[in-house]
Amino acid sequence: MAYEFTKEDLEQIEEIKSRYPEVMPATLPVLWVAQNRFGHVNPEVQNLVAETLGLPHSHVHGVAEFYTQYYKEEKGKYVLDVCTCLSCQLCGGYDILHYLEEKLGIKKGETTQDGMFTLNEAECLGACGYAPMLQVTNDQYVNHLTKEKIDMLVESLKKGEKPEYEKIGMPQRENI
Amino acid sequence: MPEVIIDGKSYKYEGQHKLLQFIQDLGKEVPFFCYHPSMSIPANCRQCMVKVGQYIVDRESGKHELDDKGNKVIRWFPKLQTACNIDIADGMVVHTQETDELVRRAQKDNLELILINHPLDCPICDQAGECPLQIQTYKYGPEGSRFEVKKVHKPKRIQLGPRVVLDAERCINCTRCTRFTQEISKTHQLTITRRGDKNYPTTAPGTEFNDPYSLNTVDICPVGALTSADFRFKARVWEMNQTPGIDITNGKGCNIDLWTRDNIVLRITPRFNMDVNDHWMPDAGREAYKIFNENRISRPLQKLDGEQILSSWNNAVATFIEQIDNTENKNILVIGSPHASVEENYSLAKFSNLMGLNQPVFVPHLKEGAGDGFLITDDQAPNTVGCRLLGFTELDQKALKKEVVKASLVILLSDHLLDRNVLTHKDLDGKFLITLATNHSETTKRADLVIPVTTAAEHAASYVNVDGRIQRTFRAKETKYTNRRLDMEMSEGRLDRYGTNFDNWVTEDNKIDCLPVWRFISEAAGSKGLDLVLSDGREIMDEISSTHNPFKGVSYQLMDEQAGILLINDSKEKTNA
Ligand code: SF4
Ligand code: FES
Ligand code: FES
Repeated sequence: MAYEFTKEDLEQIEEIKSRYPEVMPATLPVLWVAQNRFGHVNPEVQNLVAETLGLPHSHVHGVAEFYTQYYKEEKGKYVLDVCTCLSCQLCGGYDILHYLEEKLGIKKGETTQDGMFTLNEAECLGACGYAPMLQVTNDQYVNHLTKEKIDMLVESLKKGEKPEYEKIGMPQRENI
Repeated sequence: MPEVIIDGKSYKYEGQHKLLQFIQDLGKEVPFFCYHPSMSIPANCRQCMVKVGQYIVDRESGKHELDDKGNKVIRWFPKLQTACNIDIADGMVVHTQETDELVRRAQKDNLELILINHPLDCPICDQAGECPLQIQTYKYGPEGSRFEVKKVHKPKRIQLGPRVVLDAERCINCTRCTRFTQEISKTHQLTITRRGDKNYPTTAPGTEFNDPYSLNTVDICPVGALTSADFRFKARVWEMNQTPGIDITNGKGCNIDLWTRDNIVLRITPRFNMDVNDHWMPDAGREAYKIFNENRISRPLQKLDGEQILSSWNNAVATFIEQIDNTENKNILVIGSPHASVEENYSLAKFSNLMGLNQPVFVPHLKEGAGDGFLITDDQAPNTVGCRLLGFTELDQKALKKEVVKASLVILLSDHLLDRNVLTHKDLDGKFLITLATNHSETTKRADLVIPVTTAAEHAASYVNVDGRIQRTFRAKETKYTNRRLDMEMSEGRLDRYGTNFDNWVTEDNKIDCLPVWRFISEAAGSKGLDLVLSDGREIMDEISSTHNPFKGVSYQLMDEQAGILLINDSKEKTNA
């Protein structure tokens, strides 16, 4: 498949370029434009970005490879990053991961047949206070996970409903 | 004048200097990996740590603050500094590993970190023996490692391009190679991929590292991560000996080193010359090592009944003279060569002159559009300007053909005119062709008499590059008639020093049966009773400098001292680069 930016994308890219004195710093935001458009930045998309910006292919490749949030291959519609770092692990992060593996019938790092979900194991996402938790496609956090919560999440994602952004206050003294 | 105090000694300086370079220029040392004097300074290896500070001076009195023992008190930077990217400043106090335990410790710990995932496979690594990582670790590294866990594995034996192989596990991510493609060759072919302990240099997907200068990254890689696909596993560095030379594959005259073992040239690497090639050379020039070893003409060849057979030197000299004697002078054409050195061309011209033959002509060897404005030139020959300065008549193809038609005896110096399509077999029909040459070719195959002569690896001779700079070679490889141990100018490696003809590491066959052009010419002249004795390049150059104006003042000594001498400043004389 040949990847191409739409007219709107190109306008947006021009606008991004105008923010910087040189083209190189536009690499990161333009990779986002590409990932939002194509769902990933595989080598072909990286080349498209490089050519659109007039930068060396190797440069765009190096940048895309550096950041884990850029997907270097096609992923499911929803990417579930389950945190298994220390706090989440202690609060059952692995249980959540294994439950999801069972439920979706895939192993971590894989994508479901219908292309709906990709399941990943992630390092600390900075929400240790609400462990265990996962992140949906570089975006919303789903916190205080339980098996029931996972079931609900998967159901609603299948329907195309993304979770709400959750705001959790700091614990108050009397609650401790 | 401003001054810096390094390890308790004060040094005056002028201008701006980076501390690491300044220390090196003093002949002292601080270990480092990522710094390279010809590229930008990323300070990413962290090996060049030193302690930097300033004496505390009382503002009012202007006096140094002293401690109890009367020593000047120093205000140190809160942390150690990387010497490569810090500018020296007046009154700066520096402690290197030589005087400071903290610096020693930092350098040691940094090496321990760098080596965590390094495979430590020096015994099978090509870089061993010329590896900064190996050397610095011996000198400044820890004796062991505390990281006794499984190492991270990365891609190995990756063919990055046609000439360069990557072992990512050995890489320390200094970015010298990527900076080279960004800043020097400007092909931007390399980048660092991934991150953390998984990163390594690579090309963009679907592309290969075919940069015409790619092998320079092998030279500057401070570890064995990048190796030459061609040279890999051919020799250990300490078995070879290294002799300075000049690249003869194009007009730039890059300064090079020839690496030989048992009289075979195994590789060519660039030698620093600020005015010519900096630290670099094109990949094509490195291929030339083959010219010195392979397909060489050894012993004179003479045509008998249409077939070339090995002859003797006596026969060759006799035939050479006989042919000249039996041909009317006006039917003899002497052709010089931009591929041969100044001394060789001069010797031929002098002989020609004494015999009453024509002043040699020559045909430049240009490839329009081949040059890149950097180190690759349109000029395919190393000495076009040299021929011009000797006063040879420059001919184009048509003009040469006209001359050849008139001749019945053609004497041709080191130029494969048939192979480069200047002449055709038809042009030479019925003519006696004598060629003095180094390697077999279409042209030498056609010749009726072939005199094997020395290559730039076997004689000391000079070449004038496209910019009018005269530079000279040294003898790197023995012929049947030279001897490393007797020739004080030849370098001697371990094997040369301790080997004998009866060892299996000395191969007599690697010495070519050939003579320098001037030796052959002297033999020929001698048999004619002419007073012409040309013994070696050094003396010939002295003679040229006293007889040829453009070469005035040129001598081997001066060339050696100044890394070449610029003979002309006016660009008319130069070939198009
Ligand atoms: S391959 Fe060599 S030059 Fe390139 S980053 Fe690694 S260590 Fe440095
Ligand atoms: S450990 Fe899971 S968010 Fe920090
Ligand atoms: S040489 Fe200074 S940090 Fe690498």
